[in-house]
Amino acid sequence: MKNLMKYEWRKTMALKLILLGITAAAEIAYLIGVFRHDENWAAISAGILTLLAFGGVMVIGLNSVVTLHRDMNTRQGYMLFMTPNSCYKILGAKVIENGLSMLATGAFFFGLGALDIMLLFAKFSTVGELWRFLEDFIHSINNEIQINAFGMACFFLNLLTGWFSVVIMAYLADVISAALLNGKKYNGLLSFVLFLALTIGLRVLENLAVSALVPQGTGINTVYLVRSAVTLVFSAGMYVCTAQIMERKLSV
Amino acid sequence: MMLASKEITKMFGRKTAVDHVTLEMEPGHIYAMLGPNGSGKTTWMKMAAGLIKPTSGEMTFEGRPVDIESRKQIAYMSTEPYFYTWMTARDVGKYYGDFFADYSADRYRALLERMELNETLKTRELSSGMMAKLKIAVTLARDARVYMLDEPFNGIDLLARDVIRACILESAAENKLLLLSSHLVEEMEAIADRAAYLKNGVLVECTDLEEMREQRGLSMADRYREIYSHSEGANA
Repeated sequence: MKNLMKYEWRKTMALKLILLGITAAAEIAYLIGVFRHDENWAAISAGILTLLAFGGVMVIGLNSVVTLHRDMNTRQGYMLFMTPNSCYKILGAKVIENGLSMLATGAFFFGLGALDIMLLFAKFSTVGELWRFLEDFIHSINNEIQINAFGMACFFLNLLTGWFSVVIMAYLADVISAALLNGKKYNGLLSFVLFLALTIGLRVLENLAVSALVPQGTGINTVYLVRSAVTLVFSAGMYVCTAQIMERKLSV
Repeated sequence: MMLASKEITKMFGRKTAVDHVTLEMEPGHIYAMLGPNGSGKTTWMKMAAGLIKPTSGEMTFEGRPVDIESRKQIAYMSTEPYFYTWMTARDVGKYYGDFFADYSADRYRALLERMELNETLKTRELSSGMMAKLKIAVTLARDARVYMLDEPFNGIDLLARDVIRACILESAAENKLLLLSSHLVEEMEAIADRAAYLKNGVLVECTDLEEMREQRGLSMADRYREIYSHSEGANA
């Protein structure tokens, strides 16, 4: 498993390095803006960093789906599937590597964001106004989100697990496309419809499960934590289903 | 039997690539799998390597269906290039070392030297001949029970072919099975002692070449012409 994960990391490394490079450039621009007291410069680079934080996690997930697709549909897949590893291990390595990469990216941007905001407080006198703007922005997403470290961590964990489950569903749709629908007419379209149906179906099931598990009036942070746990359980089910199809039906 | 298929069939959509092939291969022999393009050689090998799932029938290694355990014993070399593009020849060796317990880094380095390849070469920059040599070197660097080489002489010049032929013959042993496919029938005649002829996905014959020479007075190439020139004439 360790070796499989090592090579999954290697296959997806280029994109991560590019992301890191762009982030470093945006951070330098931000720091220049803060230390020169140039509010426009700081605001623009902070906006880019925010975009990178959300976009980066999404792109890492998408890249993982593309890598799986390439492994199943190009000759390079022989490198993976001729090794003495079960499809459970092969897919498991992809899931874990991708999950850890998204978690690390999320944590990295969360930490970087916290540091940058603290720096902002220290440097700008008008930061109170900016903070209120940030609060308004976050409350426009959900009015119940608590603007403190724990509340924000719960909120981002919920976002992260939600996106993680979307990636796992994309794995499943892609595996069905490669293993069961390969060579059939409208394969790509059918896989995409299947992916949408799975995503919507899973969200409905998640909502039902969360409603059943969490009593009315429970705090938003608890709801986020329970939802994250439910999402991970459903993702585990999707993983087993995907690996089983690969094991029985996939030809590369 | 070391490697066997029982009534194995593989269909891609409506096309039948391998059609109810029953074939048994014993250790201590070098088999040539022969047939023109589209005869099912590569598909049969990929099923034996566990890369393709059969539509029906069964592929077995030492009496058990091919699975993760058999992949530890079977070294397969595809005819197409399959290394990751970011790899150097050294990375390819490390990759095999990470996944196959029977891989020898020393043997790999020795084979690379004989093939006149450098470990620092990037796989994406290799010519087709160099790529073919690299694939053979890393495959034969394993101490596997079965070696399956699909078109090992493709794109390789005459002198390099001599080196590769020598390396293949050195890998043969009483407890090992070698299976090679090639269009170069004369080349195969110098290596193999048994031949399986496939035609349109169907096994025509699997025969001992010495017996065929003695009993029927036919060489591997003669039999090849008998089987395939007739159909080519009919197709024409």
